[in-house]
Amino acid sequence: MQLVGMEITGNSETILTAREAGLVACRRCARVWPQGLAECGRCGAPLVSRDPKSLQRVWGWWIAGLMCYIPANIYPMLQTRTLFTTSEDTIVGGAISLAMYGSPGIALVILVASVVIPIGKFIGIAFLALSVRKPSMLSTRHRHGLYEIVEYIGRWSMIDVFVVAILASLVQLSVVASINPGPASLTFALSVVFTMLSAQSFDSRLIWDQDKRSKDTAA
Amino acid sequence: MNDAAPNVPIKPVRRSLRERFSVVWLIPLVALLIALGVAWTSYSERGPLVIIAFDSASGVKAGETELRYRDITVGLVEKVTFSPSLEKVEVLVRLDKDIEEYVDGDAKFWVVRPEVSARGITGLDTVLSGVFIEGLWDTTPFGFVAYHEGLADAPLLRVGETGRQIVLRATENTTLAENTPILFKGITVGRTGKPRLVGDGTESVADAVIYSPHDTLISSSTRFWDISGFAFKIGAGGAELDFSSLASLISGGVTFETVVSGGVAVADGYTFEVYEDEPTARSSVFSDSSGPPLEVSVIFSENVSGLAAGAPVELAGVRIGEVKGLRGLVDEARFGDTRVRLLASLSIRPERLGLGDAITPDEALEFLADRVREGLRARLATASILTGGLKIELLLLTNASPAEIERPADAAPIIPSTLANIKDVAATAEGVLKRVNELPIEEMLANVVSFLESAKNLIGNEELQRAPAEIVGLIEEARGVIGSEQVQALPEGINTLMTSLTGATEDLRVVLEKLNEADAVNRLMAAVDSAGTAAAGVGTSMEGVPDLIAKIDALAAKATALPVEDLLAQATELATSAQGILGSDSAQALPENVNTLLTSLTGTTDELQTVLTQIKEADTINRLLAAIDSAGIAATEVGTSLQGVPDLITKIDALAAKATALPVENLISEATGLVTSARELVASDGTKALPATLNAALQDLQNVIADISGQDGVARLLATIDAAGVAAADVGTSLQGVPDLITKIDALAAKATELPLENLVTEATGLVTSAQELLAADTTKQLPGNLNAALQNLQGVITEITDQNGIARLLATIDEAGKAATTASASFEGVPALVEQISAVAATANELPLDQLITELTAVVDSANVILGTDGAKQLPESLNAALAQIEAVLAELRAGGTVQNVNSTLASTANAANAVARASEDLPGLVRRVNGLINQAATTLASFDGKSAINRDIRAALLEVQRAAASVASLTRALERRPNSIILGR
Repeated sequence: MQLVGMEITGNSETILTAREAGLVACRRCARVWPQGLAECGRCGAPLVSRDPKSLQRVWGWWIAGLMCYIPANIYPMLQTRTLFTTSEDTIVGGAISLAMYGSPGIALVILVASVVIPIGKFIGIAFLALSVRKPSMLSTRHRHGLYEIVEYIGRWSMIDVFVVAILASLVQLSVVASINPGPASLTFALSVVFTMLSAQSFDSRLIWDQDKRSKDTAA
Repeated sequence: MNDAAPNVPIKPVRRSLRERFSVVWLIPLVALLIALGVAWTSYSERGPLVIIAFDSASGVKAGETELRYRDITVGLVEKVTFSPSLEKVEVLVRLDKDIEEYVDGDAKFWVVRPEVSARGITGLDTVLSGVFIEGLWDTTPFGFVAYHEGLADAPLLRVGETGRQIVLRATENTTLAENTPILFKGITVGRTGKPRLVGDGTESVADAVIYSPHDTLISSSTRFWDISGFAFKIGAGGAELDFSSLASLISGGVTFETVVSGGVAVADGYTFEVYEDEPTARSSVFSDSSGPPLEVSVIFSENVSGLAAGAPVELAGVRIGEVKGLRGLVDEARFGDTRVRLLASLSIRPERLGLGDAITPDEALEFLADRVREGLRARLATASILTGGLKIELLLLTNASPAEIERPADAAPIIPSTLANIKDVAATAEGVLKRVNELPIEEMLANVVSFLESAKNLIGNEELQRAPAEIVGLIEEARGVIGSEQVQALPEGINTLMTSLTGATEDLRVVLEKLNEADAVNRLMAAVDSAGTAAAGVGTSMEGVPDLIAKIDALAAKATALPVEDLLAQATELATSAQGILGSDSAQALPENVNTLLTSLTGTTDELQTVLTQIKEADTINRLLAAIDSAGIAATEVGTSLQGVPDLITKIDALAAKATALPVENLISEATGLVTSARELVASDGTKALPATLNAALQDLQNVIADISGQDGVARLLATIDAAGVAAADVGTSLQGVPDLITKIDALAAKATELPLENLVTEATGLVTSAQELLAADTTKQLPGNLNAALQNLQGVITEITDQNGIARLLATIDEAGKAATTASASFEGVPALVEQISAVAATANELPLDQLITELTAVVDSANVILGTDGAKQLPESLNAALAQIEAVLAELRAGGTVQNVNSTLASTANAANAVARASEDLPGLVRRVNGLINQAATTLASFDGKSAINRDIRAALLEVQRAAASVASLTRALERRPNSIILGR
C-alpha cells in the first residue's frame, strides 16, 4: 500500500520494490518477511514474491465464467406463473419488456447490472491478463486502477441473482401466482462467482513487473 | 532469468505437472463436460417433429399449445406456419420420443376448443389455458409419419371409445343435428356427428356412432326415427304431452328399434334412414325397399295450386312414388315463351312397378319409356275433394300424340304430361246447395205447424178423449154378455141348426138335379143373358157415376166440415146408454131366448126339409122354370128400362151438387140435438124394459113356429109360387113402359134440381128441431113404456094365435095369397096402362109448377113446424100414446083372428132365406180352406218369431248392444257432468 501511495506521489524512478529489497510481504496479513520464507509466520499463508500460476488461474476462472455466462443469457432467468399463464423471461428479454412497459429506469439498472458489468468485467480481466505479457497503451498506474475497479464492482453483478432469489421466495401464492428461478439464474450466479474468482486470482504485482521489465529493456 | 546464463547447459528443474498447471483449469473443464453432457442428453432425448396441416389453427400458439393424448401432454407446438401455397396452416409439433412409433398413418389430430351444447360443456379447460391439439392413434406402432392432415372436428369416437360407426340419412321430414344423442329405451347409446348434404342437396346424412356394447343392438332390420322436440296430442283421451328427455327436447334425439327379426349385423358405414316418427319407421319395414328410387320430372303448364311435395304419384291407382319437389321453370328456348311452368320432380320406387324386387332404376326408366311410346302420360288429378289437394297420376291415353321421355344430360328424365283432370267440386256443391236453399221449406213448415196445431186441437177435444173410455166400457159390457152361459151355449144350437140345414141342402141338391134335367140351365142362361144386358145397361147408366161420386165427395167434404164432434160426444153418451141397456138383466137374458128360438128354428128346418121332399115329388120345378122365364123377360125389360138411367143419374148428380150446397150444418146440429134426445129416450126406464118384453115376444114366436111346422102348407105354397110366376111375367110386361116413366122422372129430377131446396132444408131443420123438442117432451118419454105395453099385448096376441089354432087359418090365408097372386097377375096386365098413366102423371108433374109446389111444401113444412111447435103437437105423443093403447086394444082384438096374411108373407120370406143360406153354405168349404191357409200362414209367421230362431237371436243381440251402448253413453254423460274438466285432463 505504501507503494501505491508512493506511486501516487509520483517518483517511480526512485522506487525500490520489496523484491529488490529482498523482502516479501504476506498477501493475506501484509506482514513483511525476508525472502526465502515459505509461509507467513503470523497467518500461515504461503509467501511468494511472485505467483507463477496467477495467470493460469485467471484464465481458468475466466473461461469457466464465460461458459456459464452464455446459457445465463439464453435460458430464462425468471419463470412467472400467474393463474393460467406461464411466462419465462431471459435477462435481456426481461429488461426489454420492462423498458417497453414503461420502466426504463429499472430496465437500465438491470441491463447495467446483468449485462454491462459482467461483460465489462470479462473484458477488463482479459485486458489485464494480456497486458502482463504485452506492452499496453495504458500506463501501469491506469491498469492498476482498472484492476481495482474490476475487483470492486464485480460483486454487484449478483444483484440480479438476489432479485430472483427474493422474488422466488416471496411470490409463492400457490396457483394464483408463483415465480421460480429459471436455469439462467444458476448459471448467471456461477458466472459472477467465476469472474470474481478470476479477478481475485490476478496478481496485480505482475503489472509492475512488466513495467519494470520494459523499463529494464529500455534501460 | 534462466535465459541469462547462456552456454551453460543448465538443465532447468523439471517441475511436476501439478506445479506447472493450476488446478483451476479443472473448473472450466468440468463446466465444459457438463455443458456437453447436457447438450448431448437433450439432443438424444428430443423427439421428432410432426407436421399437422389444419384449415384453421385458431388459438394454436408456438411454444405454448400442447399435443395431448389421453389428456397427457406428449408434445409441444414449436412452430405455426403456412403451407407453401398458403392453403393450410401447418403446425409443427415436437413429439415425445417414446410416442414416436405410434404416430403412424392412421393418427388423427384435431384442435380441441371449448364447446357448449345442450349435452353439456366440453373443453372448458381450454377457455383459460388456450386450445390444445388432441391426437388419436391406435396402440399398434407402424412407424412414424411426419405429415398429417388435421381434422376440422373431433372424431365421433373419442380416445378410449369403441363402437359401431354408421351413417344416418334424413328423410324429407326429419332433420339431423350435430351431437344429437341416440337413445335406446331412454338410455343414450350413441350420438350423431355433424350432418352434411349429399348428392344434389336433396338429403342430408350424418355420421353416427353406437358405443359398445350397445352396438350389438342394431342390425339391418333396425329402423331409426326422430324423437326430437315433443309431441302434443289432444283427443278423446285428453291432452297428452310427450317428450323423451329434456335434452332431446332441446337438441333433438334419435331412437331406434329392431322391428323385425332376421336382420344381419351391419358393418361400419352402413346407412340407415331416420324416419319422422315411430309408425312411419315401423311401416317402412314392410313398404320400404333398399333399392334406390328412380328420379324423373314432369313439366306442367297449368295451374297446379294444390300440388305439394309429398303428394302421391299413382299408376293405375297404385302409389308408386311421390312428389319430391316443385319449382318454377322458364325456358324460352324450349317452349317459345317466357311463361312460368312448373317442374315437379318425382321419386318413383322401381319395385312398385310390379317388375320384381330386383329392378334397377335404369330398367324402370326403360319400362316407362316403352309405356310412354304407347301413350303413357302424367297428369294432375284431384287427390282429395275436400282439401283440393292434387296428385300426379300416370295413365295410358289411347289417342295420345307420339312422345318420348326426354333425357337431358344434366337433369332427371322428363315424362310428358297431359291436361289435368281436376273436378271443380266446389261449384257443383254450391249449385246443389243453392237449389236446396230455394226450396220453400219455411212455407211447408208453417203448413205443417198449422196442421199439427189443428190435429192437436182435435185430439185434445175432451169429448173425443172420453170416447175411448166409453167404448172400453161398452166392450166390457159386451164381453160380459158374450161371456154369459147362454151365449156360450149358442154355438151348440147353431150346430144343431147346421145339421138340419145340411139335410135341407141335400134335398136341395136333388131338386137342383131335377132342374138340370129340365134344361133349366139354358133358360137360366137366357135369364142371365137378359140380366147381363140389364147389367150392361146398368154399366152404361153408371158412366155418369164418377161425376156423381165427385159430387158426393164434395158433399162428404162438406159433411167433414160439419160439427161432428158434438155429434160424436152425443153418440158417445148414446153408446153409454146403450151400454147401460145391454148391461140390463133383460138384455142379458136375450141370448138365452135366442138360444131357445134357435132350437125351435132347428125344428122348423126339419119340417122344411120334409116340405122340400114333398116339393121334390110334386112338379114344382117346371112351374118354377116358367117363373124364371118370366123373370128373364122381366130382366130384359128392366135392361131396356134402365137405358134412361144415365140421364137420371146426371140429374141426380146435379141434385147432389145442389145438396152439397145445402146448409146441412144446421141440420146436423139439430140432428145432434135429436140424438141427444134419443139418447135420453133410450136411457129411459121404458126403453130398458123393452128387451124383456122382446124376450117374451120371441118366446111366443117360437111357439107359433113350432105350430106351423106341424101343418101341411106346402101344396098351397106351390100354388102361390105359380101365381108369383104369372105375376112376374106380368111384371115383365108391365115394365115395358118404365123407360118412358124414367124419362119423365128424369125430367122431374131435373126440375127438382132447380127447386129451392135450401128453404126446404131450413124448414126440415126446423122440423127436426121441433121433433127434437117433441122427443124431449115427457110424453114422448113415456112412449117406450106404452110400446112395452103394446109388445106385451102382441105377445098376448101371439099366444092367442098359438092357442087358437091360428095355423089352419094361416094355411087358408096362404090359399088366399095364391088367389091374390093370381089376381095380382091379372091386375098386372093393367100395369102397362098404369105405367103409361103414371108416365103421363110424371109428365104432368114435370110440367107442373114444382117451384110453387116446393114453396107450398116449404110452407107446409113450415106449418108442420108451427104445428109441431103448437101445444097440440106437443100433446101428440099423448095422443100417440092413446093410439098405441088403441093399437094394443086392436091387437087384443086380433087375438080373435085376422093376422094370418102377414104371417103368410113371413113364411115366404123365410123360405127365401133358407135358400140363400143353402147357397152360402156351398161356398163355405172354400172359405174355410182360405181361412185355413190364412191361419197356416199366420202360424208360420208367428213361428218365425220363436225364441230360438236366428232372427230372434240377432235381434236380441242387437238390442243388447244398443242397450249397452246406451248405458255407456249414459255413464259417459254422468262422468262429464260430475267432472267436466276430465275432457281436458283425459281422466
